Amino acid sequence: MSSITRFPELVVSAHASACIGRMMARYASAIDNGDLERWPDFFTDDCTYRILTRTDFDAGRDFGIWYCNTRGMLLDRVSSIQSVNVFEPHVYRHVLGPTEIVSIEDGVIGCETSYMVVRTGYEGEMMIFSAGRYIDAVVVDGQRALLRERTVVTDSCRYDALVALPL
Amino acid sequence: MTGGKEGFSATTATIAMPTSRIRWPEEGITRVPLRVFSDPATYEREQDAVFRGPTWSFLCLDIEIPNAGDYVTTKVGHTSVIVVRKGDDSIHALVNKCVHKGSVLCYEAQGHRKRPNFVCPYHNWVYNFDGELTSVAFEKGVHGKGGMPEDFDKANFRLTKLRVDTIRGLVFGSFSDEAPALLDYLGPVMVRHIERTLYGRVKILGRYSQVMHNNWKLYVENSRDNYHPSLLHAFFSTFKINRLSAEGGTLQDEDSRHHITFTKRFTDVGDQVYDSGIIRAQRDDFGLKDPSLIDQWMEYPDQITNAIMSIFPGFVLHQIMNSLGVRQVVPLGVDRCELIWTVLGFEEDTPEQTMIRRKQSNLVGPAGYVSMEDGTIGAFVEKGIRGDLDDNAVIEMGGKDTGPMATRATETSVRGFWKFYRELMHV
Repeated sequence: MSSITRFPELVVSAHASACIGRMMARYASAIDNGDLERWPDFFTDDCTYRILTRTDFDAGRDFGIWYCNTRGMLLDRVSSIQSVNVFEPHVYRHVLGPTEIVSIEDGVIGCETSYMVVRTGYEGEMMIFSAGRYIDAVVVDGQRALLRERTVVTDSCRYDALVALPL
Repeated sequence: MTGGKEGFSATTATIAMPTSRIRWPEEGITRVPLRVFSDPATYEREQDAVFRGPTWSFLCLDIEIPNAGDYVTTKVGHTSVIVVRKGDDSIHALVNKCVHKGSVLCYEAQGHRKRPNFVCPYHNWVYNFDGELTSVAFEKGVHGKGGMPEDFDKANFRLTKLRVDTIRGLVFGSFSDEAPALLDYLGPVMVRHIERTLYGRVKILGRYSQVMHNNWKLYVENSRDNYHPSLLHAFFSTFKINRLSAEGGTLQDEDSRHHITFTKRFTDVGDQVYDSGIIRAQRDDFGLKDPSLIDQWMEYPDQITNAIMSIFPGFVLHQIMNSLGVRQVVPLGVDRCELIWTVLGFEEDTPEQTMIRRKQSNLVGPAGYVSMEDGTIGAFVEKGIRGDLDDNAVIEMGGKDTGPMATRATETSVRGFWKFYRELMHV
């Protein structure tokens, strides 16, 4: 089930498509490969990032465990993760599906991408930590696609232990 | 009790319990034997003695079942329970287990029954909302063959029914006839706090759960341990937010079973800016790049800005600035539990107030700036104690007794938890 009416004939330019693909790959790489400082760079200054459950999303609710609506809030998350919050060392590995373009309006591209994240702890234990989809509003600025909005809809209503790093 | 259990009376004393390996140290409630967190027999015994004992457990919010026929499934201990609203507006709670083979009747988080009954998916046995067995498929057989024996009487079988009571839209249930009425169980201090906190028409802003890799009691201890927050949760101190905190304290009911810790803020907030009642945090005061996270309005006339209430055995009501919510502790196994969070607001909230609650949702839950460590600290303890289960934890901060204290540097409510636990478990 999707909340969005899809227009299969929608096409974006090869340029926009390449920018979006690059952004998706780099976003995952920044989180997974220890470059968390770069995570806020994928967003516009005026942005929204949130994580909520599929059940809440389908019920029309608009926030869950994580809600940032300025770039400053994203930066505060990064510094808190890096220097304040206490948790066992662990890493994520994102695997992304193909991006589906669902709307184009006033230069803002709406798109959805399935993701899966495996979490590996410092003692080696691994688990499928989260699966779901990104519902994005993207703008292309020169050679870069930037997230004006990313809503992470997690298929599960359960989160294991804690969600310290962004999804 | 279902028909299969006749011969036992419903008192906890006569229920055959697994032998507990717990030997409580002579020091009493200032010591906790670590084995209590890992012994499977103790875990089994808690299901009857604590969760089905003379206690009340949170079931759901009444707004989740607004109409007749609406139901939710929830858990008391590891027992699945259906909560349903009947045509006369009364709320009923039934154990979600068919008396025939034991299948659950409802297998969704929530739903609606057009007809006032539940039908088991396995062999279509039917129960009304009072839990009475009203129909057995092919009871008289087919064409005179088969069917139930002559002496089978549906009246001898029913779903186990819980007592139900509500306070300010919170629905509680109890398995025990020996539990006092809900309001007496909570006591006036807790009742006043619930009524004060949930002052409006409650609405659900979000719900999620957090799986913790520890025994459920380690989380409950944590919820009433007001010694740890400023030490484990560095967020407030790092971003210089707790410089605003002034007086605080610990409240309990008369029997020290339940707990409230609270913090008041100075009413003089210095260089902060008042704007339509909202206290705007100024950038220079804090380490935060965007201090709008901690914009707040004085929601309560008592000036309390943080309050955590923990009701025995596993219910928490929190107010962290303007973030409100309830938490339900569900044991999943001896070394695993789930904390179900429901984040709340009120229908009366202005859009600006909703935005503040939305931003402050970042403080709580599994990704909460202030509370994410609680999702893992119990697992740290589990890991630490594994090889030393004959040792004891030392619970002496704030003295050796229970009772309210005008400080947060105390473990009085952790001792209160163990006091009632020992009474129920006979350990």
